Formats: sequence, structure tokens, C-alpha cells
Amino acid sequence: MNRGIAYYIIGRFLQSVLVLWIIVTLLFLLFRLAPGDPIANYIDVNFTREQELNLRARFGLDKPLHEQYVVYLVNLAKLDLGETFSYAGRSVLDILAEDLPNTIYLTMSSLLLAYSVGVLGGIAMAALRGSLIERVGTTFTLMTRAAPQFWVGMLLLTLFAFQWRLLPSSGIGPALVRYRWETEWDKLLSPVFWRHMILPTFTLAIYLHGLPLLLMRSNMLEVLDQDFIVMGRLTGYSESRLMIQHAARNALLPVLTALTLGIGYSIGGNVVIENVFSWPGLGRTLVEAVQESDYPLAQGAFFFIAFIIVFLNFIADILYSLLDPRVGASAQARLS
Amino acid sequence: MQFRLNPRVILALVLVTTVLGMSLGAVSAQERVPTITVHSVTQAERPIEYETTRLVVENMRELGLDVEHRALSLLQFFDETWFSREEGKGRVEKPFQMTAWRMVGRPERSEPDEFTYNLFHSSVRDGGYNFIGYYNPEYDALAETQRALTDPAERREIICEAQQVIRNDMVNAYFLHPQTPQLVNTDVFNAASVVIQAGIGIQNFWNWINIEPIGEERLIITATTSNLNVLNPLEIAGDSPSRVTEIVWDRLMRTNPDGLPEPWAAESVVWEDSTHVVLTLREGMTWHDGLPVTSADAAYSFEAALAGTTQVDAEGNEFFRAEATDYYPFVSGITDIEIIDDLTIRLSLAAPNGAFETSTLSKLNLIPKHIWEPIITELLADDGADVDSIQEEIPIGSGPFKFVAYDVNEFALLEAHTDHWSAPKADGWLMNVLPNLEAMIGQIQSGEMNLLWEWPSDPAVLSDIAEANDHLSLFTETSIGFQYFAFNLRYAPFDNLAFRQAIAHVIPQQFIIDNLYNGFAAPADSFVSTALGYWRECDEPLRTYEFTIEGARALLESAGYSWDDEGRLLYPAN
Repeated sequence: MNRGIAYYIIGRFLQSVLVLWIIVTLLFLLFRLAPGDPIANYIDVNFTREQELNLRARFGLDKPLHEQYVVYLVNLAKLDLGETFSYAGRSVLDILAEDLPNTIYLTMSSLLLAYSVGVLGGIAMAALRGSLIERVGTTFTLMTRAAPQFWVGMLLLTLFAFQWRLLPSSGIGPALVRYRWETEWDKLLSPVFWRHMILPTFTLAIYLHGLPLLLMRSNMLEVLDQDFIVMGRLTGYSESRLMIQHAARNALLPVLTALTLGIGYSIGGNVVIENVFSWPGLGRTLVEAVQESDYPLAQGAFFFIAFIIVFLNFIADILYSLLDPRVGASAQARLS
Repeated sequence: MQFRLNPRVILALVLVTTVLGMSLGAVSAQERVPTITVHSVTQAERPIEYETTRLVVENMRELGLDVEHRALSLLQFFDETWFSREEGKGRVEKPFQMTAWRMVGRPERSEPDEFTYNLFHSSVRDGGYNFIGYYNPEYDALAETQRALTDPAERREIICEAQQVIRNDMVNAYFLHPQTPQLVNTDVFNAASVVIQAGIGIQNFWNWINIEPIGEERLIITATTSNLNVLNPLEIAGDSPSRVTEIVWDRLMRTNPDGLPEPWAAESVVWEDSTHVVLTLREGMTWHDGLPVTSADAAYSFEAALAGTTQVDAEGNEFFRAEATDYYPFVSGITDIEIIDDLTIRLSLAAPNGAFETSTLSKLNLIPKHIWEPIITELLADDGADVDSIQEEIPIGSGPFKFVAYDVNEFALLEAHTDHWSAPKADGWLMNVLPNLEAMIGQIQSGEMNLLWEWPSDPAVLSDIAEANDHLSLFTETSIGFQYFAFNLRYAPFDNLAFRQAIAHVIPQQFIIDNLYNGFAAPADSFVSTALGYWRECDEPLRTYEFTIEGARALLESAGYSWDDEGRLLYPAN
């Protein structure tokens, strides 16, 4: 049994590495083979052939493609994502490491908000099935899921930031406060930072809360039809106790799976929100990097996001095998 | 005698008519002008440029041409135009024929040399900016002559002549100079203190130091849409970082609001002859770290820009790899830098250079030797990174503003350098990075931001906002930059003057300005903007090409072009 799990984990790990290698290769080829020369960004009236050679040499673009690929893989294995083209003397890792925390704070707080509201809302919708509140509530949720994020963001921005001037409109804090933050802790302990996070968090949460709500609602309805609930009802448990303790607990598992995967996808999917709210995170850097044809930075950002998603999938798989012994056992059965 | 048709006579007649018919046919079957491709950037990236191209393409069809409009994303666009200028040497098989193009206005471009020389001189046809392949020895001579003249009035004469040649040759079809709308909060600043630089606007050095706060808000707060990726005195970075570098680092001379160079950190600039110039620094200037600015620093600023090593590229060719790639071209003509005393240096040039004061002395940043010498020495030794990839944590200059803090994708915050001999009236300067234009509009109206200079969108939006808000004043300045159509002069049909002139006649200049630009543009007829008064004071006006399709057809006809039965344009017989 334990050996089964070990094999399973090793298998999964190798799979993840393979997936990452494929992603890395695709990324490399995508950027290199796409039309457009990154040097074009530097063309100026005073541009000379010599300058072009200078730039190519500096970026390593003068080497043949296969050589660039080998250099890229070797560096990646050493966790060296290279130097950016467009930021002076800064490594890709350095830039991404600076952006990542901001993206994580935003993602986590909006997921937390979305899933709390979603789970509770789902239970309520299931309990109120057929009522007017349920019909209105579900329609509203479907609408928020269909509304483009940038549109919701603009709407909130116009109302709360510019019309009523209740909340700040952009960034993570005014520069005059912001420059005094020396460490990550200074930032996290500053109320200004959290005030700046309200609008983007809500915008994201409005979009994200739909999935857990609808998922929770349909799971609940399924569970409520099952024998043990009927049994409980016959035993004389109160309706609220049945709902929360018995039905909701069972209906929650798929929602948690969605959450684990949701973390990964949200980190990569904040591109729109980060641009609307000028939030200095991974998504914004990604857009800038693509616009500027900053290959190393764009590759690095995509790789980072892919890595997080693959890693969280891997973790989800391991958790599953630990929670559900059948997963490991079947793996062992296949192996023997 | 009865006339009889002899079979021989019939044969002879048939033969004669056939031969005659064939030869006549060969004369009348002139070649059609083949399909022309006109390039532009996509609608998504540059909507107005795209629409303009669409309009002109429509009108070209009226001339009996088969025209294809090819819109590409920016980098791909460069691949098919800039990088595909010559047959067999390009990124794509077919060299470009005609393309929409733009030059943007920058302060250093108020000196006409850059455009006069680099856009048209035959020496930069292969890899430089003369990608259209203009070759005219008479023009080359003018471009070289103006460069060698140091007397502005004499130079102007030559520059006027150069503009005439380019206009008459219809090398590029210029049609407009955009006008950039900008906003200033006049509750915060005295409107009379705003300085506009000719051809640039309010985002200029003189405005930053002169604009005068009248209330409690003493900070200039502005924004930009792009990241401040590099703040390095030896790199000419994008538009936004340049706003920072030009006020943190001082320069020996500066281009004044009229676009002409004047002494700045150098109290005097004296030309001993046309290749030797003596520069004397002002007394008492200090770096932001408190050390004095000396002639050794000034000399080192040139040496740093000249530094580099000789390297070999993949094909085995030797080339000089400059540490400061961007600045090297501006100093490469300097042969000797001599320190005369604590405040004086003397530069020797290889050849006279009329643009030296603007292109070099007003462009090069003064850098502190005590900070940069160790860095550059180390870089030269290991020939890895270049000096323009260095980012100081707290950059040190000697300009009127000094560094407080910055974050590449958030903001740059500067404070007044109160020891400066021309200290700014404002207490500080802040530029936020705001990729969202809606946020920019919101902030300028709410007062979170008090000066808006960058507006890459519909100008009418800003003029509406200015009208709706009493505290906002609109400033509009005609740009040094221009929009045009460039022709590949190397190949037919654009190697023909009459053909190019006909194309110029079908560009509805005023219609484009009124409708696509909502009036926020001025008509253009030269590579020297009408905003640069001095260089446009010529004896003779430039030739005009009014919008007329009939006129264009008549012009083609008189040049020997004709049309076939389907109305397609045919090349002249010979």
C-alpha cells in the first residue's frame, strides 16, 4: 500500500516534469518562430548596422536557434531565467519575484471572499430551491459570470473611485506612502495597501464566486436526495442541522478541488484586472513583456504561471491519494 | 484589264498585314502596373493610421491601380518593411513598396540634422534609416554641407534647399503633424508659468523647472502608460524614462523652448575653430551626493560614452561594441578630450559638425566620475553586460531634481535639488505608471494627478474634459513628428517621379485632419515641422500637392501612362 503511493507520487512527479519540459519548449519556439524581430523595438533614426549587431550580441540573438535552446534549458535547470531585454540589468527572476507577492495577495483574498460567499450562497440557494430569491440569486450569479471582468472593473472604478471618491483607483499605494515601505511586512501592515486592494479584490471575487456557488448548489441538491439524508430527516434531525452538518460537508469536497485548481488558474488569469487597476503583479508584467518582445521575461512569466499550475495539480493529486486510498491502490495494481 | 487576285499577292498581303498588326499590337499592349501592396500597422494598434491608409488605398484604386492594403502587427510590420527593403536581402521575399510610417517628436529632433541626414543620405541606405533607398548625390552633398556649417543662418539656407529637393522629388508623402492635447490643473499651478516647447508640448525640461505651484499642493503629479524600465544616464530609453533622466542629470547645453541649443551646465561654449570647442562649467555645481561637479566629470562623461571593445560577430566580422550603444553615435566624432583646468575642457572633432551643440552637447548627460569609472572599468574587463544595463539603486546626477525612490512598474519620485543654480519652483515631481487610460482621466479630474502629458488616444476626449472641468486647461502643440507614406524608391513603379507625385495628389490631407484626427493635426509638407519656426523660414515656399484625383490622372497621362479597356493603369511605352 505505502509502496503503491510512493510509486504513484514518483510517477506523477515525472509526469509533471515532462509537462513542464513540453511547456518550456513550446514557449521557446512560440516566441522565436512568431513573426517579428525584437530588435525592431530599438530602431531609431540614428540606428546603424553596428548597433544592430551590438544588440544581437547583447541579447544572445546572434547565436543559432538550437544553441539558444540549449543555453535556455541549461539555465532553466539552474533556475536562471536569464536577463530581461527591457529592464536595465535586472534578471527575470528578480522582476517576477517582485511581482509575485502582489499577485498572490490579490488572488488569495479574492478567492477567499469568492469561495466563502459562494459556498454559503450555494447552501442557501439549495435550501431555498424554487423560491423567488433562488431564481433571482442564481440569475444574478450567472450574469456576473458572463460579465467581462474589465467591464465590471471599470464600473466599480467609475462609481467608487471617481464618482463617490471612496476608494483609491490604482496601484498598491500612493507613491508618497509607498516609498517608505522597505520590506514586505511594511506593506502588509499598512492600511493603505489593504484599502487599495478592495476594488480589485471585489472585481475578481464577483467573477470567481459563481463557480463555487453553482457547484455547491447542485452538489447540495444531489446530496439532499440521498438515502442518508432521508434517514436523518426521519430520525428527526432539524433541517438546519441536516443542511450544514450532513449535506454541506459532503457537497464541499468537489468545491475544494475546484479551489486548489482555481488558485493556479487565477494567478495566471489576473491579467485583465491587474491592468484595469494598474496593479503591479505578474499579469501586468506579462502583458508588458509580450508588447515589448522581451522574450526572456515573457517566457519567464509564462513558465512561472505554468509551474504554479502544474505544481498545484501535483499537490492536488498527492492529497487525493492520501485522502482516498483507492487512488494509490489502483496505481499499485497497474504497476504489478 | 481586269484585276485578278493572284494567290501570291494574297499571301503577300496577309503577311504584310500580320507583321504590321503584330508590331502595332506590341506598341499598344503596354504593361499593366502590377498589384501594389501598401503596408500599415493593424487597426487595433494604430486605428487612425490604419483608417488613413484605407482611405488612400481607395483613392489609389481610382487611378486604375490594383492595390492591396496589408495591415500587420507592429513587429511583423517592421519585418516586411524596414527589414525587407531590398530584393533577396529581406526577411520576406518581396521588398515593401509603399507603407504608412511615422516619426515621433522628441526634444533632440528639434535639431534638423538628424532627419536631414539619417532619413535620406545614401550612406544609410543598407542598414540605417534611409530604408526607402533614396540616392541622390546632389542631396548627399547638401546633407553633408549643412552638417559642416556652424553658422546657423548659413546652415538654414542649405536645410531649406534640402527640404526643397525632398519635396520636389516626392521622396516621402508627408501629410500631417499630429497635435498632442495635454492638461494642466490650474488650481494647482499658475497657468502663466507653463512653458511649452516648440514641437514637443508641456513635457519639457523648462516646464518642469518653471511651473509654479500656487496652493498647498507643491508636487508635480503626472502619469505615464509604460513602465520605467531603465533609469540610466547612458541609455536613451523610451519616452517615459527620458522624462526622468533629463531632469535628474544635467547637460552641458540644453535645447531651449524654441528648439535651439543654449549653454546650461556649461557657462560658456566657445568654438576656437570649426573642430575645437572649449566648454567652461558653472561654478559651485554639486552632485546629488554633495560632491562638486568638476571638469574631470565632464570629460569622463564623454569618455564613458566612447568606451567599448572590438569584438567579432558570428560571421567573423569585427565590430566595435560600444558600452553605451545609444550614445556612442553622438560622440564618435570626438577625437580628443582635454582637461584645461578645474572647470574647463576642450573637445576636438574629426570633422566640423553643425549639429554638435544639439545632438551631442545638449544630449549627453553629465555623470559623476566617482560613481561610473569603477563600474565601467569592471565592465570593460569582463566584456559581459553593457553599461546601459546597469541600474543604480539611487541614481546620482546634478540636475534640478534628485532621486527619492522609484519602482519600475509603479512610480518615480523626485524632489527639488535646492542647491541647484536653477532650482525648480515645485517641491518635487512624481510620475505614476498607469496603464489604464480611464484611470488617467479619472485621476486628472479628481485632482489625484495635476498634469497630463501622455495621451495615446482620441484627442477629442481630452478637450471635452477640459471644457467640463474649470480647473483643467488644455494645451495643444503641433508635434515635431509627422505621419507619411514612404515609397521604396529602388523599384518600379515607385522609382518614377510622376507616379509618386500622382500618389501624393490622392492623399486627402485636410479630410484626414478634419475627420480622422478631429482637427488635432497640422498639415505637413516636409520632414522639418512647421513647429520649428527657425528652420522653416525659407525664401521659397515648398511645392504643394493639392488633393485632386483628376489632377493625378492628368499628371500620369502627361508622363506617358495610359489606361486599358478595363481602366487599369499601364506603364508608359518605354
